[in-house]
Amino acid sequence: MLDATTLQILTESAKYDVSCSSSGSKRANTADGLGNASVGGICHSFTPDGRCISLLKILMSNECVYDCEYCPNRRSADVRRAHISPDEICELTINFYKRNYIEGLFLSSAVSGTPDKTMELLTETVIKLRKQYNFNGYIHLKGIPHADSALAMKAAKYVDRMSYNIELPSEKSLKLLAPQKTKDSLITPMKKLQTAIVYDRENKVKKGKVLPAGQTTQMIVGASPESDGQILRLTEYLYRHMDLKRVYYSSYIPVVESPLLPATPTGLLREHRLYQADWLIRFYGFDVNEICGEGENLSTEYDPKCAWALRNMHLFPVEINKAPLEMLLRVPGIGAKSAYKIIEARRFAALDFDNLAKMRIVLKRARHFITCKGRFYGSEGGALKAALLIDEKSRTDEQLSLFSTPSVALSALTGEL
Amino acid sequence: MKVFITDGTAEAFYTAVFVAYAEKGAIITSQENRQLSFDTEIINISADAKKAGRVRARLDKLDRYAAGDIDLALRSGDSLKEQAAFEYIKLIVQNGRAVRKMLSLPAVIELNDIIHRVKSELHNMKGFMRFMETESGALYAPYSPDNDITDLIAPHFKARLGMQKFVIHDVKRKKAALCDGKEWFMAEVGEAEIYLSEYERTFENLWKKYYSSVNIKERPHEKQMKGYMPVRYWKFLPEKNSPTE
Repeated sequence: MLDATTLQILTESAKYDVSCSSSGSKRANTADGLGNASVGGICHSFTPDGRCISLLKILMSNECVYDCEYCPNRRSADVRRAHISPDEICELTINFYKRNYIEGLFLSSAVSGTPDKTMELLTETVIKLRKQYNFNGYIHLKGIPHADSALAMKAAKYVDRMSYNIELPSEKSLKLLAPQKTKDSLITPMKKLQTAIVYDRENKVKKGKVLPAGQTTQMIVGASPESDGQILRLTEYLYRHMDLKRVYYSSYIPVVESPLLPATPTGLLREHRLYQADWLIRFYGFDVNEICGEGENLSTEYDPKCAWALRNMHLFPVEINKAPLEMLLRVPGIGAKSAYKIIEARRFAALDFDNLAKMRIVLKRARHFITCKGRFYGSEGGALKAALLIDEKSRTDEQLSLFSTPSVALSALTGEL
Repeated sequence: MKVFITDGTAEAFYTAVFVAYAEKGAIITSQENRQLSFDTEIINISADAKKAGRVRARLDKLDRYAAGDIDLALRSGDSLKEQAAFEYIKLIVQNGRAVRKMLSLPAVIELNDIIHRVKSELHNMKGFMRFMETESGALYAPYSPDNDITDLIAPHFKARLGMQKFVIHDVKRKKAALCDGKEWFMAEVGEAEIYLSEYERTFENLWKKYYSSVNIKERPHEKQMKGYMPVRYWKFLPEKNSPTE
């Protein structure tokens, strides 16, 4: 059986991957099987860093032939190495799942030997887990760049989600910092998987669907000189043209000394702002051009929705009892849940400011952009900006304090592909 | 003021609604130890199928989903649940139709809040439940939820665990969902005597090792951890108890 030290090494090598989500799939259990997937995802525990544990996130091996500049597992790094066998992974997954410790498996690996050999072993493991161990819980598999894409296509029939990490937001930076990975080695398999996903969707395939929870990716922000505008354009492309479910960002921190890498960490505020902008693009139907110019960076002072509203004051204030849903969703501080509550409640009675407060609509920012029965409760001009700044400062301080130490920086490292 | 005290069952609650409906300022509760003012009159209600049935019939006619909402609310650990459900029923009768979406009315907000807390604990427990493997191979999970949700959570685990035998034991309410691998059912269970399987400690220790390894020490944020995973649930989580052996 697997020993504790091996588990520790392979967990520590995998933990910097940002994604842990177990949502998006509704795989059913089989007659003699174990497990199913819950479409909303389930968190099973929370670690003292405030992150959730949903999946057993491990590397199959951290013995890497690549030498990516930013990676702690790169060939030239002096770290403890370990690997585990497909059967050991399957047994651990089954036993953790049975006890309800986890929602499933997030399996990745360093490139051990050749890309094909690594991908083959990963594929063998997930097929074994499904067929021999009859496991029907969630599986997220990391794709290995440069591996034969037929292997990825084969694995995709058995897992819920796959991801190739783009790592750096431009081809130029990739060449500089991860020379063994090329844009094509990442984009080509992603496109093939996309084609298979789209085929299943268009043909309404129900059973044995390829990647029911789709594809995701991750990139490091601040290790290379791309602007937020460029990063968000790439993000928008990935959502609108490659059907990605999520793009994750991790802010760079220098852990590895290199003349090719910046010496100072990227603030976590930048990562935070990108997530906020990502959300606007993915969920709120904003166009990237409304949020950020191509060569520009996002405002550090205000969140992207607030910054957009301040640039478009001619659209505000909106009357809470009349504004259409699309407009309510564009009011800073009003999210999908609040907008829904307002739309439903106002069908029965006109809402005043007090009603909104009792409905627990957060009004700190929203009050400056709305009227209730024609009355305005906010500030205007300079006073408005001052009020928003004070509020923003208290919010971001609270959210980012967790990341304030530089060694957080480690989040820049994915510890794997 | 009249206070109507029920035994906590739905039938007694609907009976109380029947009796209390016309009383001005009437209160319905299952908490006997609530503070009483000197002019309070206490009326004990015992379930009456006929009276309860009449209230249910009227309610179902006005809003066929209301009884489902109230069933959820009555599972709450909140001491004001019966009163909130009572106010909600009065509102439905006054309006002559469903009020679920009248989201600015205090009675609707109140009941929705109670239901929300029951549902969110139900969801959280799908993650925080911890099974141990016993000598016979059956899985045993003791827990102590705030709300009475065991029969609601059992189908989730039945679907997942397939032919596996399992027990989900609400130690506070002394009841359990028992599954023999085919069917599951509810039973009264006080104390359970458990003999663990040979490998149980090994996997529990591997899990604790995983938990400590996946944490990023340099980024402590205990407040957030406790916000998502309240301390009162830790008692049953191996990763939050005793260091790795």
